[in-house]
Amino acid sequence: MNRFRGKTAIVGIGEVPTGHFPERSFVDAAITVCEAAIKDSGVPKHAVDTIIPIGVVSNPLDNANVVCSWLVEELGLGKTAKSNFQVMSGGSSSANALKTASSLVLAGLSQAVLVVHCDRLGTGIDFNAAVTAFARASVSQEYEVPYGWGQLGLAGLLQQRYMYETGTTERQIASVVESLRKWAALNPNAMMRKLRTADEILDSPVISSPVRKRTMNVLADGAAAFIVTSAEWAKDLTDQPAYVLGVGSRCTNFTSTQQPKNYHAAWGPAADEAYTMAGIQPKDVKVAEIYDAFPTFILITMELLKLCELGEAGRLVENGHTSPGGRLPVSTNGAMMAQGHTGAGGGVAILVEAARQVMGKAGERQVPNADIVVETASGGVGMDFHVGVLGREA
Amino acid sequence: MTEYTKPLPLITDLSRVFYDGCKERKLLYQQCRECGEVIFFPKKICSNCMSRDLEWKQSQGRGKIHSFTVTYSYAPPEFAKDTPYALSIIAMDEGFYIMSNIVDCDFDKLVCDLPVEVVFQPVTPDITLPKFRPRPPAR
Ligand SMILES: [Zn+2]
Repeated sequence: MNRFRGKTAIVGIGEVPTGHFPERSFVDAAITVCEAAIKDSGVPKHAVDTIIPIGVVSNPLDNANVVCSWLVEELGLGKTAKSNFQVMSGGSSSANALKTASSLVLAGLSQAVLVVHCDRLGTGIDFNAAVTAFARASVSQEYEVPYGWGQLGLAGLLQQRYMYETGTTERQIASVVESLRKWAALNPNAMMRKLRTADEILDSPVISSPVRKRTMNVLADGAAAFIVTSAEWAKDLTDQPAYVLGVGSRCTNFTSTQQPKNYHAAWGPAADEAYTMAGIQPKDVKVAEIYDAFPTFILITMELLKLCELGEAGRLVENGHTSPGGRLPVSTNGAMMAQGHTGAGGGVAILVEAARQVMGKAGERQVPNADIVVETASGGVGMDFHVGVLGREA
Repeated sequence: MTEYTKPLPLITDLSRVFYDGCKERKLLYQQCRECGEVIFFPKKICSNCMSRDLEWKQSQGRGKIHSFTVTYSYAPPEFAKDTPYALSIIAMDEGFYIMSNIVDCDFDKLVCDLPVEVVFQPVTPDITLPKFRPRPPAR
């Protein structure tokens, strides 16, 4: 038996609504989600001995301050905390923080680890500054910067090639957004809760072909947190912990030019490793909480996770199977396309949603029998690919 | 020449060799003398075997569009007045990938795997950028 499998668990989660909240300060949102996660977990405050703040993109000063133990002081953890340090790998920070937190707990170096993300990309940064920041990071300054690359260009390049290789239609891509909006309508923390049909989505202008206005994500303010403890302690703390059953990762590139052209060869092993560690097969997955940033990546990931055959994901989504009530619920919080893009927090929101489904706390959007939930994350321009498996039994 | 206001490449000792090549209308890439690995973007150390014995080679300048996107709006601010423009990743015949723009073309006729060839565009006295255009069918 793998020495990592089922040895740690997520025992508490906290989140505030994602959206545009100019009156909600950074520190207010950050401590609110930490407080919620600690109370949800039942872990006594003094046992939260490691604090991992994920990187803040909108404001370098906020980021410098969370690195310098701002939240330790605000939460009154200064008499008992051992470490405060940052984990930051953009969109995949959730996965790397989960690996780090679980390892610290497993090694006996920490009793309870608090992972927290907070950012204000909706109102804490000028829109053009945000576009520029995203158009400069993860881009080769020597060989890519002269050509007008941006996050939407990235989405366009990925969708164009995916449609060409698989025969997936634009309507099927639009169906991903339709499905995510249906989930978001059931999620009080989501930003884009208005239902949209695939046809309405296709009826929006092309921004960076073939990406349309309604297949873009929207930058937002948001915050979420979770607590990791040993599986042994988790049993006493809560009726239903979300046990960490498997993780798998591949980190492949910096720039989009050098991104693997065969995702399946490059990133598929991450899914295989997570499934093998967890001792499950793709057919055991009840819910897939997939990291998106844009809709094509949901389809690619469904295939990477072997939840369908290559090129079949679009048809599954178009036929409603990933929507509420479908046989393969995907991204039940609405993902970044519908919950909102909070910087490095998209992955944290996805991981928190995976734990929420396993813990049976997803309210109106709770999937029955969510005993095995798979979740994914990816950072940069698609520089890496991470898979985690959470479950109800260790 | 009107003033060029878009971002220029960062010039390092390594990228200077590449852009000096572009000024002479040569598209340069590297190959490892130890293991034969084709390397681009240029590096100091072979991506395969970590050798530092890398040689510069001249590409024939031909390849195919791996993927492309035509940006109409929400472009990075410096590119806003140039929309629409085609951004592309090109698979070169020598086996490396390069990012550039597709120019001199009808955007509606672009498709993945379309054959393209390099054209060199001087943008400042120091910097010439490699761009690509659809290649006429071989005669
Ligand atoms: Zn070599």
